[in-house]
Amino acid sequence: MAAPSTPLKNTVKGYATYMGREGHYAFLLHRLTGLGVLLFLTIHILDTATVYFYPSLYEHAIELYRATPFMLGEIGLLFAVIYHGVNGLRIAVTDMWMPKRWAIEKQRKAVRLTLVVAILLWTPGALVMLYNLLLHNFGVDLLAMLPFGK
Amino acid sequence: MLVYLKIYRYNPEAGRNVPSFDTYNIEAEPTDRVLDLLEHIKGEIDGTISFRRSCAHGVCGSDAMRINGRNLLACKALVKDVGNEITVEPILGLPVLKDMIVDMEPFFDSYKSIMPFLVNEDVPADGKERRQSPEQRERFDDTTKCILCAACTTSCPVFWADDQYVGPAAMVNAHRFIFDSRDQAADKRLEILADHGGAFRCRTAFNCTEACPREIHVTQAIAEVKNAITSGGVEY
Ligand code: HEM
Ligand code: HEM
Ligand code: SF4
Ligand code: FES
Repeated sequence: MAAPSTPLKNTVKGYATYMGREGHYAFLLHRLTGLGVLLFLTIHILDTATVYFYPSLYEHAIELYRATPFMLGEIGLLFAVIYHGVNGLRIAVTDMWMPKRWAIEKQRKAVRLTLVVAILLWTPGALVMLYNLLLHNFGVDLLAMLPFGK
Repeated sequence: MLVYLKIYRYNPEAGRNVPSFDTYNIEAEPTDRVLDLLEHIKGEIDGTISFRRSCAHGVCGSDAMRINGRNLLACKALVKDVGNEITVEPILGLPVLKDMIVDMEPFFDSYKSIMPFLVNEDVPADGKERRQSPEQRERFDDTTKCILCAACTTSCPVFWADDQYVGPAAMVNAHRFIFDSRDQAADKRLEILADHGGAFRCRTAFNCTEACPREIHVTQAIAEVKNAITSGGVEY
């Protein structure tokens, strides 16, 4: 008799303990961000629907989204969308047009580059969102604090 | 040097129904292979420990196992490369029968499903040989090197989740015939791999390529199969 195991157990074990290289972590992050954005989109469609069916609930939802944890979550959501998109392009372009780039050294570099590009694209948006968060929720005006004034 | 070994044990015949680990501290040379350590334990310390090995030189493909979380051939993994704390577990996703021994049948069923043999009903032009240019031979040279060790397939997150996925090894071997100008069944194999459980389940996580002891460009071979499917066949 074989040792007890299920596909789910193997998957959890593999995700958590397999010592893969860059590609493995890119895969996990792509899946995590894809599912994360999907979860957000589901909630998002439900909450925007309330504007029609239940306007007072909609107001409440918008109020909720202005709370600090949600605004931090939105900064994370922005990263998720950007990383998922950039990494999705890496995969699609390599797979369809340059399969020879599925080579170990090239992919280790490409995965690292993908992360750098995603962070670069994310930073401006994240800074604007952080600025607004500090301004509206904490009364801190980062621009006014700059040495050359506002 | 002193090596600390942690080895997966499962042996229902001996009453060890619950997978657990045994640990050993043994003396080893940095140039010893993990296989040497397992042989030492089996020969000198505990004869019940079970694992497959045959050639001990990286050609038979029988001793793929998870060493410090990564799929390696025990006969090619040197102590100096894996460190002096070594955890050995069976490859993941195939049923574990005893210690490091897994049931390879599902793996070979996938292999068989892609027709891993040359199909050609015609008589060769000169009655003797099917000729091929060096360029035509080069197209599938990489994928002829597979030793069916299953290191790739059992490193794949898609396979962990679904053993109905044909897996990288089967596709490497399909590639070997699909891109062979002498073969006539490319379309049939592409049809099989276009199906649910075929090439498009690949998520390009790249563990297969990193794990292959023969340094086959596994993900590239799968991508070439995907492209052959979407472009409607192969031109030789
Ligand atoms: C936190 C950031 C976001 C905010 C504040 C936001 C806000 C809104 C608002 C107010 C609407 C209603 C627009 C209307 O009534 O015409 C809307 C619609 C929508 N949003 Fe977002 N959104 C955000 C992020 C996203 C993201 C990341 C996605 C995609 C993954 C998305 C997908 C959509 C879709 C599909 C609609 C429906 C479009 C329509 O009804 O015409 N949103 N969003
Ligand atoms: C920004 C544009 C987007 C691009 C370029 C993109 C690209 C991709 C690609 C290429 C894959 C396949 C990955 C693979 O085969 O390895 C994928 C998977 C996926 N995407 Fe996207 N995507 C985008 C937006 C989205 C959005 C808005 C959502 C959520 C609503 C989403 C959810 C997912 C999910 C759940 C998967 C499956 C992940 C997996 O199987 O591991 N994607 N995406
Ligand atoms: S492709 Fe490489 S890792 Fe996969 S079975 Fe063949 S030799 Fe082993
Ligand atoms: S024992 Fe043959 S490949 Fe390792």
